[in-house]
Amino acid sequence: MWFVKFWTKIPLGDTVERGVDALEIALRSEFRALSSFLHSSIGALEGFLAFIPPLIFIAVLGVLAWRVRGWKVALFVVVSLLLILNLGLWSLTIRTLAIVLMATIASTLIGIPIGILKAHNKVIHTITRPILDFMQTIPTFVYLIPALMFFGLGTVPGVIATIVFALPPPVRLTYLGIRQVPVELIEAGKAFGSNWWQMLYKVEIPNAIPSVVMGVNQCIMMSLSMVVIAAMIGAGGLGREVMRALATINIGMGFEAGLGIVILAIILDRLVRAE
Amino acid sequence: MEIRLKSVYKIFGKEPQKVLELLKKGKTKSEIYEETGQVVAVNDVSLDISIGETFVVMGLSGSGKSTLLRCINRLVDPTLGKIYSKELEITSLNQRELREIRTHNITMVFQHFALFPRRRVLSNVTFGLEIQKKPKEYQRKKALEMLELVGLKEWSDSYPSELSGGMKQRIGLARALATEAKILLMDEPFSALDPLIRLRMQEELLKLQNKLKRTVFFVTHDLDEALRLGGRIAIMEEGGIVQVGSPEEIIINPRTEYVANFVKNADSSGVLTAAKMIDSATKASFVSSKRYLLDHKTNLTLELDEDSHPIRAYIENQPLLIKSYPNIGEGETNLILVPENTVLRDIMKAKVCCDFPLVVVSREKKFKGIITEKDILKTLLMKGKEKDLGSQNV
Repeated sequence: MWFVKFWTKIPLGDTVERGVDALEIALRSEFRALSSFLHSSIGALEGFLAFIPPLIFIAVLGVLAWRVRGWKVALFVVVSLLLILNLGLWSLTIRTLAIVLMATIASTLIGIPIGILKAHNKVIHTITRPILDFMQTIPTFVYLIPALMFFGLGTVPGVIATIVFALPPPVRLTYLGIRQVPVELIEAGKAFGSNWWQMLYKVEIPNAIPSVVMGVNQCIMMSLSMVVIAAMIGAGGLGREVMRALATINIGMGFEAGLGIVILAIILDRLVRAE
Repeated sequence: MEIRLKSVYKIFGKEPQKVLELLKKGKTKSEIYEETGQVVAVNDVSLDISIGETFVVMGLSGSGKSTLLRCINRLVDPTLGKIYSKELEITSLNQRELREIRTHNITMVFQHFALFPRRRVLSNVTFGLEIQKKPKEYQRKKALEMLELVGLKEWSDSYPSELSGGMKQRIGLARALATEAKILLMDEPFSALDPLIRLRMQEELLKLQNKLKRTVFFVTHDLDEALRLGGRIAIMEEGGIVQVGSPEEIIINPRTEYVANFVKNADSSGVLTAAKMIDSATKASFVSSKRYLLDHKTNLTLELDEDSHPIRAYIENQPLLIKSYPNIGEGETNLILVPENTVLRDIMKAKVCCDFPLVVVSREKKFKGIITEKDILKTLLMKGKEKDLGSQNV
């Protein structure tokens, strides 16, 4: 066809690559600093969790579950964690837990304020919406490449990729929670003379809490779903065990590690809920 | 004047100036909506509300009454016009000054209560005090005091979801009263309640208002409620005020068809007074300046002293006792005096107890006239129907 001659491919991929390269060179020291900060934080968190003797850990979590969720959840927590201990997956589970907690803490610390701003500012809302769509739909493997380039191999790029992947739920559900506060409550806040801050922390946030907690819950679930994928670039824990089982076609090992992830997911899901 | 509104307009739409011009040309709300798609919510409203008054704005939904109320604390900013509280021009305040006014001077009660579901009852009531930055002990003390006032002190640790509708609105009222703001805006506060609870809340509001004497701006779509509560009533239609007056004026002399239609179905038995019903007093024939023949059939005669106080009554020279309402029982065989400010409902009660005509007296116990069964029936039939009813009676 005649137009094929003029039909040159737009160099999108090249541009992105050059951009990422330039970013890597320009911000190399910043990335290093961030990397070492994350590395030591995860190390400290994991060290702390691993320092607690498993039985005490299980007992504390069991009591916590009993107090906030009742005896059924508590029973599940205790039995399933004892199973993990029995299977010899304790230290791997603790490492995965540390990664997931770190990613969740970072995602919520970044995500909730963005969600709040988004709910109050139309411009921010319009800008962030396509970005969040992009973050949620892009295949998760694609995150790994820039994470790898900026932060090298290991747990840190895994956590970074997980943070990016798990960021949209807290942003979106915080936004939703604030937007869903009934108009009459907002009016009541105004009618009694609240300023912006008082409105936020006395009216909007308290009434958005169920939705925000749901966002944190979803954030944890997304982080857990990234555990195996992040293991591809060297994040440790149960994910790496699954990858190893995959490479050696070891069904039993894959099942045990996979079960560990599922148990962790169920426990965290039951514990982190609004009601 | 506590609140003064000077030709306030509120237009919802993109080009309010254009709508204002159309309004000046005399176009109606629906014509303007057809033409521009913009809504005239409040159309040239001017009102003066005095200190301690309970002022009721009554209108159907969509008449702009809630918007008008929100203009006063500027939850809605009026498009044009000025609003004053005493000498202060509310419409010219900046955001900071406005917050100050809302915190200390003007407070509000909402139709659906607007309680904070995650706060306990007590801390719902302290909300306004928290914004006022009052010390914690004061907040608690004041909130408990307010809860006691509305009779819900023992519920202070509950959550709003545990309370019934009527209780929720008492909390809403307690929260508003706690700020000690002199102006109380009430946006259909009892509309969401069951009829019986609504009646009780109205009575309680009247009682509270007797004690507290706030300036209340009360919005409702229920004329009976307006008649029961209002010192004065403004009737609103299509964003404008069609009539302002006392409940009695509105009932007796509705100025437009719209008002008359409302009044027709209203319960006037708590509004109309004996003074307006005694036109047949002239039928009680003079015998002399001190003797009236009240009833021809029974030859009931009433004797007055020099100052026209009733002193004796006879039937065929048999003396009758004279009693005063409300100190009467059923099946009275005595003559009953009713003060001229007795409302229709109580007159009917008195008439049920006694076969004789009721004798209406002024505050100084002077004879004014009588009320027969016929007068009561006539009042009930004619109320609101003919505009000249009022002029006949007044």
